[in-house]
Amino acid sequence: MNTLRLYARSMAILIKSQLQYPLSFLMQTIAQLVMEGGEMMALILLIDRFDRLNQWGPGDLYFFFGLMSVSFYLTEIFGRGVTGNFPYMVRTGQLDTVLLRPRGVLTQVLCSAADPRRITCIAVGVVSLVIGSNLAKITWTPVKILLFAETIFFSFWLILGLFMIEAILCIHSVKSVELANTLTYGGRSACEYPSDIYPRPLRVLFTVIAPFALVMHVPASVILDKPLFSWPKWAAFVTPLSGLILFGVMYLLFRKAMRFYRSTGS
Amino acid sequence: METQYRGAVLGGLICQVFFGIVLIAIYRALYAGKPQEIPLSHVTTYVWLQQAFFRMLLATDPELQDKIRTGAIAYDLCRPLHLYSYYYARIMAQKLTGSVLRALPMLVFAALLPEGWGLCLPASVPALLLSVLGLILGLFCVSALENITMAFTMRTLDPRGMQGMLNLLMMTLSGNILPLTLFPDSWQRVITLLPYAQLLDTPIRLYTGEHAVSRAPEALLIQISWTILLIIIGCAFWRTNQRKLVIQGG
Amino acid sequence: MSYISVDHLCKTFTVRKKREKGALLREKEMVHALKDVSFEIEKGELVGYIGPNGAGKSTTVKILSGILVPESGSVTVGGMTPWTDRKAHVRRIGVVFGQRSQLWWDVPLLDSYSLLRDIYRVAETDYRKRLGELTEALQLEDLLRTPLRLLSLGQRMRAELCGSLLHSPELLFLDEPTIGLDAVSKLALRDFLLWENREKGTTILLTTHDMEDIAALCPRVMVIGHGEKLYDGGLQEMLSKYDTKRTVQVEEHRNIDHVIADMYKDLGI
Repeated sequence: MNTLRLYARSMAILIKSQLQYPLSFLMQTIAQLVMEGGEMMALILLIDRFDRLNQWGPGDLYFFFGLMSVSFYLTEIFGRGVTGNFPYMVRTGQLDTVLLRPRGVLTQVLCSAADPRRITCIAVGVVSLVIGSNLAKITWTPVKILLFAETIFFSFWLILGLFMIEAILCIHSVKSVELANTLTYGGRSACEYPSDIYPRPLRVLFTVIAPFALVMHVPASVILDKPLFSWPKWAAFVTPLSGLILFGVMYLLFRKAMRFYRSTGS
Repeated sequence: METQYRGAVLGGLICQVFFGIVLIAIYRALYAGKPQEIPLSHVTTYVWLQQAFFRMLLATDPELQDKIRTGAIAYDLCRPLHLYSYYYARIMAQKLTGSVLRALPMLVFAALLPEGWGLCLPASVPALLLSVLGLILGLFCVSALENITMAFTMRTLDPRGMQGMLNLLMMTLSGNILPLTLFPDSWQRVITLLPYAQLLDTPIRLYTGEHAVSRAPEALLIQISWTILLIIIGCAFWRTNQRKLVIQGG
Repeated sequence: MSYISVDHLCKTFTVRKKREKGALLREKEMVHALKDVSFEIEKGELVGYIGPNGAGKSTTVKILSGILVPESGSVTVGGMTPWTDRKAHVRRIGVVFGQRSQLWWDVPLLDSYSLLRDIYRVAETDYRKRLGELTEALQLEDLLRTPLRLLSLGQRMRAELCGSLLHSPELLFLDEPTIGLDAVSKLALRDFLLWENREKGTTILLTTHDMEDIAALCPRVMVIGHGEKLYDGGLQEMLSKYDTKRTVQVEEHRNIDHVIADMYKDLGI
């Protein structure tokens, strides 16, 4: 598709320009590795002291952590334009330049930034997944692999949708973006752990509003052979779609926000 | 447990409360499976005090970063100020103003939470007073520390990577990501001696009574020693910086 | 039917005033950026658009380019309303801002241009031909491998102009293109715009405070003040109309600004 080709070319050019400062790039990439490694270390220490979390063993916990890491940073690598760049674009009037080009606004925003430094964070996530898989003795079948791939795919849309909340608030000049970010990044931190450990209000939050539980935890628990709910197994293939639904809702709100922008000017 | 994103969320009150509740929910579930020597209420208190004073931990001066990058720092160096004390006072003021306003409502909220979720009462009145003293000393200590890192980043013209790692060190070793009381005992013996732990870990332990009142002088002495040492190092750094300043213009 | 047709265009902005003492909420104020503006422009014209700051010039350009949606009035450009089908409209126009860059900052010009080629979906052969033409006319051949941030202001403006014309737009909007440029660059830019207009028939709308630009390029000029169109016609006529104090030669550039200032005073803007 033409749009994908544009995206690929934009990415190539962005990465090329970032590599112009190789030392800084390397340092930042290593810093990312250390940071994510630090977060994993906290998990390791907790497991060392407590052994288990309710019915979830060490392997399960590493698996959940790794799943969130990989999904989140994958989305950040490709979707950085929405969180990092868009507020800047609105503030500086660069959004007008975007509107002057014959492409969709979201397309151009996504093409405007990439964050390849997060690759080391994904590496940490993968390590966590592997450790988790071994410790939990997951028996990988083609069905499970498919389910896993599907989870990652729809997590991307879920997280991208959550990123868009900030973009939408930006256009409406809402000063306190903190609330929106609490949902996105707070959700990320909370849902590194299986959501059934949380009290009811939080569980509802992560099922209905920011459906991390539906997109990630239900399939993950099926892969670990410890299903969260007594739903039939095939339900795990359906729940991740909620990520796409959230994205759809956010996309419509985004278009509405752009209409607002165009009638009120900057 | 989200080092990198705290900045993005700007430490808003609701955000802090949210993280607090999430962390405590996790610890409660963990404790249910394997109760520990340290009572759960101490851990919840630890979390809330950390969240309340979170603003004191991170590097606080983006203005200085810009000054360094654009070379405007040269103006400061021309002024007849004792640079070290100027920036020291500045850093401390920013930390104080950033924290106190947020800490109070959060502490009130945490105190009102039910048992096992919220802030517990201090071990005793002396414990409370000592912890306040510890907090003040801790503030001096961490400001001195940050002054050094600032002088350090002045040398490196692209401070972003450095800054991130230093923030991470701070947040991990001060007990913000995971309460130091939950670290392995052998690790704790070392970490609690480091300057990072002096800001919040020491006052918190005084508050909950883990540092018994009798042991308080020892703890406070460690804080004071580090503060003095860091000030000396900091002054030295700034002096050498003033001598060989590389200005990167335009 | 004219190429550009603007009919009774109105645009109002709601602005929050500073909080009054003792008041709880900020009062909202309506700013009438454009009040009933109408004009027509034929294909291939080169029109100047002047007025004091805040008169409504950029608002007009934003509406014409499809970025902004007006309250009332109609606009057609080449038979299309700019804001209803943004992508189709924007493909046929080019815009150059004097103060804002549209190219990528850290990246060689050639890369910027190839990205624009992809964005505008220009065929490879057309792109090569057009790029060759533009780089020659704007003398950019040696600069193609340089990133934008390393170029001087004059070079940057030329690069911007090239970028905005790569997709061969029928209509070009220019907003203060010669601001901050030295004399040589200004003259070169004007020559280029005249060439583009004559050779390619590109319709050009030039917004500027630099009266020499207008004198050199625009046979027709529109004056706007406080959101209203106050004059629309030839430059010479306008100058002779408003300079009754002394005979003015357009070549003596000192006087032309005086005339304009007097005109603004006269028109109450």
